[in-house]
Amino acid sequence: MTLSNLVLQICQVLCVLLLAPLLQGFILKAEERIQRSRGPNILQPYRDLWKLFHKQAVVPESASWIYMIAPIVAFTAMLIVPILIPVLTDRPLPQSDMGDMLGGGMVLTLGSFAIILAGLDSGNVYGGIGSSRAVMLAILAEPTLILVLVGISLLAKAMLPFVVNHLLLGSPSTYWSPAHLFLILAFFVLLLVETDRLPIHSPTHLEIYMIDEARILEYSGPLLALLKWASMMKQFILYTIFCNVFLLPWGMSQIGTPFGEFGSVVALLVKFLLVALVVIVVETVQSRLRFYRYQEPLATGFLFAVLAIVSSQLM
Amino acid sequence: MFLEHVNPLQASIFSSLAVVSLLLTFVMLGSHWLQNYVYAFAVQSWLIAALSASVGYFAGYPELYVIAVLTALFRGLVLPYLLMRIIGRLNAKRELHAVLQPSSSLVLGALLVMFAFVIANHMNRQSFLAAHVVVMALTIMLSMKFLGFLMLAVRDEAVSQILGLLVLENGIFLGSQILVPGMPLLIEIVILFDLLIVVACFGMLVRFLVVHAGTTSSRQLNRLVG
Amino acid sequence: MAEYLLLILFAAPLAAVALSFAVRSSRLSEYVTVLAAITDFVVSIPLLISVLGAPVTLAHNYIQIDPLGAWVIVCISIVYTLASIYAIGYMRLLNEDQRLPLFYGLFSGFAFTMLAACVMNNVGVFWIAIELTTLISTFLVGFEREAESTEAAWKYIVVVSGGISLALLGTVLFYWGGSFVLGPSYAMTWAALHQAAPSVYPPLLLVSFLLVLVGYGTKAGLAPMHTWLPDAHSESPAPVSAMLSGALLNASMLGIARFLGVVRGASIDGFAHSAVVGFGIFSFFIASLFIVRQTGIKRLMAYSSVEHIGVQALGLGFGGVFGVAGALYHMLNHSLNKSLMFFGAGNAMRAYGTKDIPGIRRVLKVFPVSGTLWLLGAVGIAGAPPFALFLSEFTILRSGIGGRYRWAVIVFVIFLIVVFIGFLSHFRAMYFDEAVEPDIPRLSGSVWRTLPMWLAFIPLLIFGLWWPHSLWDIFSRISHDLMGGAQ
Repeated sequence: MTLSNLVLQICQVLCVLLLAPLLQGFILKAEERIQRSRGPNILQPYRDLWKLFHKQAVVPESASWIYMIAPIVAFTAMLIVPILIPVLTDRPLPQSDMGDMLGGGMVLTLGSFAIILAGLDSGNVYGGIGSSRAVMLAILAEPTLILVLVGISLLAKAMLPFVVNHLLLGSPSTYWSPAHLFLILAFFVLLLVETDRLPIHSPTHLEIYMIDEARILEYSGPLLALLKWASMMKQFILYTIFCNVFLLPWGMSQIGTPFGEFGSVVALLVKFLLVALVVIVVETVQSRLRFYRYQEPLATGFLFAVLAIVSSQLM
Repeated sequence: MFLEHVNPLQASIFSSLAVVSLLLTFVMLGSHWLQNYVYAFAVQSWLIAALSASVGYFAGYPELYVIAVLTALFRGLVLPYLLMRIIGRLNAKRELHAVLQPSSSLVLGALLVMFAFVIANHMNRQSFLAAHVVVMALTIMLSMKFLGFLMLAVRDEAVSQILGLLVLENGIFLGSQILVPGMPLLIEIVILFDLLIVVACFGMLVRFLVVHAGTTSSRQLNRLVG
Repeated sequence: MAEYLLLILFAAPLAAVALSFAVRSSRLSEYVTVLAAITDFVVSIPLLISVLGAPVTLAHNYIQIDPLGAWVIVCISIVYTLASIYAIGYMRLLNEDQRLPLFYGLFSGFAFTMLAACVMNNVGVFWIAIELTTLISTFLVGFEREAESTEAAWKYIVVVSGGISLALLGTVLFYWGGSFVLGPSYAMTWAALHQAAPSVYPPLLLVSFLLVLVGYGTKAGLAPMHTWLPDAHSESPAPVSAMLSGALLNASMLGIARFLGVVRGASIDGFAHSAVVGFGIFSFFIASLFIVRQTGIKRLMAYSSVEHIGVQALGLGFGGVFGVAGALYHMLNHSLNKSLMFFGAGNAMRAYGTKDIPGIRRVLKVFPVSGTLWLLGAVGIAGAPPFALFLSEFTILRSGIGGRYRWAVIVFVIFLIVVFIGFLSHFRAMYFDEAVEPDIPRLSGSVWRTLPMWLAFIPLLIFGLWWPHSLWDIFSRISHDLMGGAQ
């Protein structure tokens, strides 16, 4: 049993590692389709990664060891988080109590932090701009994130994602309570901000509008591939948390048979499809906000989180 | 008090209607566009009408159906129509020079909701099963009060101020449907008509403002001080 | 007996409204309004006497005439009478003859809503009556259609409607609190609320009372909710200013007094009185600051109203027979005196063509008679003997000196001195400062504008010298109703 659990845990990590580019590919494709153009092949992110891994890496002269180590830190961080969250199974796996949601959030932030340092370290102007913007966004998003975590722990009386999942599965009244619905809305705002989506991040590849891309502008070859992969994995992880912990806690393997696990993967993809479609609709109808209006969506998220906490006290 | 015998389903219907109404107040608070305010207000009024009807159904107060119909009619149709006419008379489509940016007012509003909750929690001493509906009704009543005053304070377009006042009244109306459904019918009907007169008066005043003061922004109304 | 008197009381202003709107003759509407006002005044006194024995209840308990309400009706109808006489002389100067029927229609309607508020026995209906006074008077405030008066009207309706909605919230919470004792549906009369109050959960009762106090306090012009008052009083036509200050504020104070009566005997009784005292002192403080540095003549009068409302609040807050009697006597005297002041200010404004104090000089040269009355009125409203306000303020002081509000009495006296000096120094400047001889055209119809000043001044002097014993009986009766006879 322990062995199979261990295998399962490794499967979770692999699942995130391997399916993350697929999610990205799907979103890119669907977005183009909605806008009535053909769009890249859904497997294009895999090909990009493959290509980048076979290229030579060019390092700026001004860069230090931080520049070299940042992609590895970011990538590793994204490999650690899937251990902590329910990706395929909703049973607590052996190592999943290593960290709670706050711990997972910190590991995720560590990855971003490494990239921010690298952006500054590269000496490129845009890298600096990108890093400073990313920090500002992080500062704006932080209160909401903390409040969402407080809200969920007030609701479930625990900070472990598995416990939250079980609670929502077990009691529909909690699921439909205003507190939980507000948490979903607040987390959705965070999801848009953290996965480089509109209304904050620009979809066009112009340096002046870039935020996350600007930080990694100087990278090339395998290091760039690692960074891109890490960012796709971050997106995948956030989607997983959003779906499996908040929005759609159903459809996960409970015993852990291979067949069940396969079913979970399929279910996961279906859930992602739904969420991705909503995100795409938002991207299509929203225009990018001015720099000085970034706080508006985040203030909305903050508001939802506060309302969630207030209404969780009423239940 | 009928809330003592309320079952979880009814409680959740009441709370979701009330919570969504509160949310619509935030839509008014967070939007720049005058028309959005009016739409949000209209929807809010319909929700309150639905609330009256459901309280009337579950608690056995048939006269609340009358209130529901009148609410939907006056607050949901006539008042928004009058407000739209007022907006049509203004030369402003959106609030340009708000004292407080919408995002800041949202955050401030969120803090006010917390404050309202604290007060509401102190005011309730019931401990039966559905006591949370009571606290929630009080919270939302007070929050809408605070948010209405916030709108009055940070917005300066004439229509925003009228809507701020209407939000104040909506909050009271919403809370009173849950807390005191047995309040005499006469009073509620008269209050509804009273609102109609209020908005009619405001409409005439807005016309005065445009003609005689040359502005509909309260920020320009600064002749009288000291 | 009381029913018929009440019927006449309400029918007279309504008839005036109807005739003004129907016939649309400015002369007719003037005289009809005066006639209605005098009828009301004549009826109000027997009405007061007839309900002294026991309150009269009518219309399924929706209407109750008790001595307190009847007393406020007397005050209101006095101001109504004086103001409608003065309006004849004043409004003709505005050269808006074709709009005069509209003015008088609204004017009588305004008086009607205030009179109606006084007899409402249902708390919710009382709220509605007070709200209606706002709506009607808004158009009276904005009647002159200048930029300033429109601005004042707008601020007036926004601030007062916002404030009064707090009173509605408080009323609903009172009802809710009462529903635990009296069942889910009951008639929300003052007596019912009073009966329920001691059993209501104290924090709930406290919040409700504070909401109601702030709500009706806004309407009464207690600081810091007074911000609409100087604007509305200074920008409306002088007779309307007199009505707002002399009548409307009383009607709103009636609400506060009644709610103080409701919470009597409940656990928050002491706190409620302290809150009223606090608002009273703060109004006094704000008013004295603004009076000293005021430049507008009618704004000066307006802040003086804030001050005197503060005095009434102190009287009610101190409680006891002396406090309540002082507050009620003050209500009457302030109504008379403030009408006199606004009439004088209206005369000066029209004659000099300015609202600024520095523009008004050597008043006695222009108005030998009414100027003298105005000056004496100013001495009276600053609180000097032998005028009536001195007597009522002194009574309120006396009621507070022995109780637990000794600090408030000391602050009260200090601010009284500040107001006295500040207020009269403006008048010294207007009357005795050296200035070029003003060249003022003679205005027509001055009898209409001087007569009400005499009518206000004479009783003011009489009441200052002699407090009729029958009035004292009425006051102790009301105080017994309100405060349960506690000394």
